[in-house]
Amino acid sequence: MLAIRFRRRGAEAACRLEPEPGLPFGQLRERPGATRRIGFGLDAAAGPRAHEQAGAAAAVALTDLREAALEAHGVGPSQAAWLAAGFALGSWRPPGAPGLTRLKRLTVLTDQPGAAEAAWAGIAPGVEGCLLARDLVSLPANQLTTRAFASRLEALAEVGIAVDVWGRKRLARAGLGALLAVGAGAGPASPPRLAILRWRGRIAAPPVAFVGKGLVFDTGGVCIKPARGMAAMRADMAGAAACVGAMLALARRQSAAPAVAVLALAENATGAASYRPGDVLRTGSGRTVEVVDTDAEGRLVLADALHQAIVGHAPRAVIDLATLTGAVVTALGHHRAGLFGNDSALMAAIAAAGEAVGEPVWPLPIGDAHRTDLRSDIADLRHCLPAAGRPLPDASHGAAFLEAFVGATPWAHLDIAGVDTQRAAHAGGPAGATGFGVRLLDRLVAQRFESEDHHPPPGASSLRAASA
Amino acid sequence: MPDFAFVKATLPRTGVLVLPLPEGGLGGLAAEADALTGGALTRALEAAGFKGRKGQQANLYGLAPYSRILALGLGTVTEEAAEAAGGTAAAALATEREATILADGLPAAAAARLALGAKLRAWRFDRYRTTETAEDKPKLERLSIATAEATAAKQAFAPLSAVAEGVFLTRDLVSEPPNILHPISFAERCRELEKLGIEVEVLGLKELRKLNFGAMIGVAQGSQHEPRLVVMQWKGAPKARKGGVAKPICFLGKGVTFDTGGISIKPAGGMEDMKWDMAGAGAVVGAMAALAGRRARADVIGLVGLVENMPSGTAQRPGDVVTTHSGQTVEVINTDAEGRLVLADMLSYAQGRFSPRCMIDLATLTGAIIVALGHEHAGLFSNDEDLASRLQAAGASVGEKLWRMPLGDAYDKQIKSDIADMKNVGGRPGGAITAAQFLQRFVDSKVAPMPWAHLDIAGTAWSSKDQPTIPKGATAFGVRLLDRLVAEMAEG
Repeated sequence: MLAIRFRRRGAEAACRLEPEPGLPFGQLRERPGATRRIGFGLDAAAGPRAHEQAGAAAAVALTDLREAALEAHGVGPSQAAWLAAGFALGSWRPPGAPGLTRLKRLTVLTDQPGAAEAAWAGIAPGVEGCLLARDLVSLPANQLTTRAFASRLEALAEVGIAVDVWGRKRLARAGLGALLAVGAGAGPASPPRLAILRWRGRIAAPPVAFVGKGLVFDTGGVCIKPARGMAAMRADMAGAAACVGAMLALARRQSAAPAVAVLALAENATGAASYRPGDVLRTGSGRTVEVVDTDAEGRLVLADALHQAIVGHAPRAVIDLATLTGAVVTALGHHRAGLFGNDSALMAAIAAAGEAVGEPVWPLPIGDAHRTDLRSDIADLRHCLPAAGRPLPDASHGAAFLEAFVGATPWAHLDIAGVDTQRAAHAGGPAGATGFGVRLLDRLVAQRFESEDHHPPPGASSLRAASA
Repeated sequence: MPDFAFVKATLPRTGVLVLPLPEGGLGGLAAEADALTGGALTRALEAAGFKGRKGQQANLYGLAPYSRILALGLGTVTEEAAEAAGGTAAAALATEREATILADGLPAAAAARLALGAKLRAWRFDRYRTTETAEDKPKLERLSIATAEATAAKQAFAPLSAVAEGVFLTRDLVSEPPNILHPISFAERCRELEKLGIEVEVLGLKELRKLNFGAMIGVAQGSQHEPRLVVMQWKGAPKARKGGVAKPICFLGKGVTFDTGGISIKPAGGMEDMKWDMAGAGAVVGAMAALAGRRARADVIGLVGLVENMPSGTAQRPGDVVTTHSGQTVEVINTDAEGRLVLADMLSYAQGRFSPRCMIDLATLTGAIIVALGHEHAGLFSNDEDLASRLQAAGASVGEKLWRMPLGDAYDKQIKSDIADMKNVGGRPGGAITAAQFLQRFVDSKVAPMPWAHLDIAGTAWSSKDQPTIPKGATAFGVRLLDRLVAEMAEG
């Protein structure tokens, strides 16, 4: 991540970045002078989000600087920190991107470096987590195998996160038949894994749980996807990556809230051992599922991961993130993630957190018809409907399926299939992985889960009593 | 359609009985009927596992002195439960000539809703069945509703019955095949509303040209049928209010009597469904009939844009640029995104001519809304929080549910054109939202806010299976909702 420091003045930098009201976002203007000066668009009177966007747009456009000083005397300390966040987000580039000069060091010149530093301390962890998620999402599937993903997680031990990775034997013992089936066709580099990350926090409350879909690659399996666009499926682990980034953010800012992330890691490959349409799987919950389309694998691995998160950690709330459906892209495009759930207060808090950090969501329904559509002739339920050339509300079907595995625990599901990557530069950075969800989860935890008695879910008090 | 009679609460001593029952034991006339059967009714209900749960049914034959007793579970007594039970009764009684519903346990309003449910379900579209035998047709001629408050129930039923007639008009229009119902014949059907006291204007191609309806004409130009714009006005507001502020409420309906897709032609599979691509217009016409039928005390304007979208030598091409009534230009990328073109001209025309209090358009606009929501909710887009929440509340109370969908600049950018003010499609992502953004560009809120809502009813206009008060087929989604909205918004 871009190294950022806040100083009253600093003349040593070779280049100064200077706000210029009225210049459109993303445009830079070289200014005359002895040292190099570059103007970028910023309205100093605007709110924090606009400062972050201005910084990100400027940093995306900068392609020939390694180091710079940022003139921020005209804005308050908190705005200076948001501006810095924008530069950190906008100067991110995909790992291994060739021939790019990117900003590495930024000195923010402000009247109140102490106050700006303090504000930055609250923002930087979310930014760092977001960038970690972007790095993970950008990696190709031959580099980020399930094994490689799991071994990268071990580095989180340094920041105080306990890491536990379950292999096939442990998965079989826990009966996680859906995750095992989805991962069955993959080669030896990418066996199915369940990774569990734990952050202790400080308060005596059940943890908040994040559950992430981590398909390191998704061919569709036997129901193979068309070749066109399949390369994008290396990002089908963006939900898991967002959970990892959020855990890093919580640890970096020493969050008081206990948290656990359960990541379902697998590769949905076409192979001799692949699962088939028509197969009936026994999930960790004991429920049986008829497989209709092997390309609707995300909800299968999440069913097991959600179940494990709930029975293993009795969380006060569980939030899953997944690049689950193409339907959500048809529904909401690339500007909002789909939000589903069983708890309106939790959903409202998620929507508010998303608006605050520029990761907007929109609620979508789980209706009775969506549930009854999932009745199966042979198993407890089927996981999707056969595609028959007619429009299907598959995002709602996916959510209705997941709902069957969460019981009474307050739960929300974010379908991030439209927002995990962007084709062009966006408000938070350059084209490519966005890290969507990390900052939302970090903000949600800060606002809702860092006190013991804040919005306790039904039954939470008895859980605490039992553990005391 | 059977006759509905509200009769006093006395127990018939023979024939067919219908018992709408809440959870718990039998009371009132139902208990008397039980006594008359010597307790056989109670035993039969027990044997059938009937507990009065909502949606439960027990169909009992041969409990002397009755030929048949139909028990319907209400759960708790609500107007919604009563309406659903009425619908279920109407379907189950198709083989009987007469029946009596023992509604003495229901308040008058619930008894009226029960009759409404039965009426809504008893509708049938059999105009083109020439060989059906009398044996196969529904036989129900008279449904008596026995209630302690017969007069009050009858009074409550009268406006509901008028609304049901509006629903039937819509269902008829939506069910009509596209060789019968085209823009000209549809406009003629609208003319019949004059009998109810509605002012009806029909504008043809010449007038539309004069009004610069370039987008609507572009859609229609491939068809042998000329387009029609029908303007219906119901002036029911009390005279005293007319002097000042009370502006009319305006409904607009997409009326593509058949949508082949035009040059951007649709796949053959399922194309027959496109006869109901006029369901938005159908709902507007039905709502106007409902309001006039119950003499609503409000001023309401309904506009329907009627066109047929056909491929032909004269059809509009992808790449064409058309100039709309508002003066804005549109690059037609896909001729199958035609509904928004029709509505674009209508929205700016309606706003300019009537300065309405609010505009609500209904359209089977996108497949994307079905992918987003399925078939239980229609998509609701609006620039006005108050109007949006009123619509959602009205929909919830009549079982026509709406789900709010987002609007925003990020979506609006998707319809930028390289050559015109906008293009008519924004790609697959967020397809229902970009369609709404397109419409919003024809709602002028620059000088003063113009409350507007768009209902994308593509997923709710047609039902693939029977529902309690809606037989499989045309649902008339929107008629009851609009009627309720007017009642709450302008007649309260």
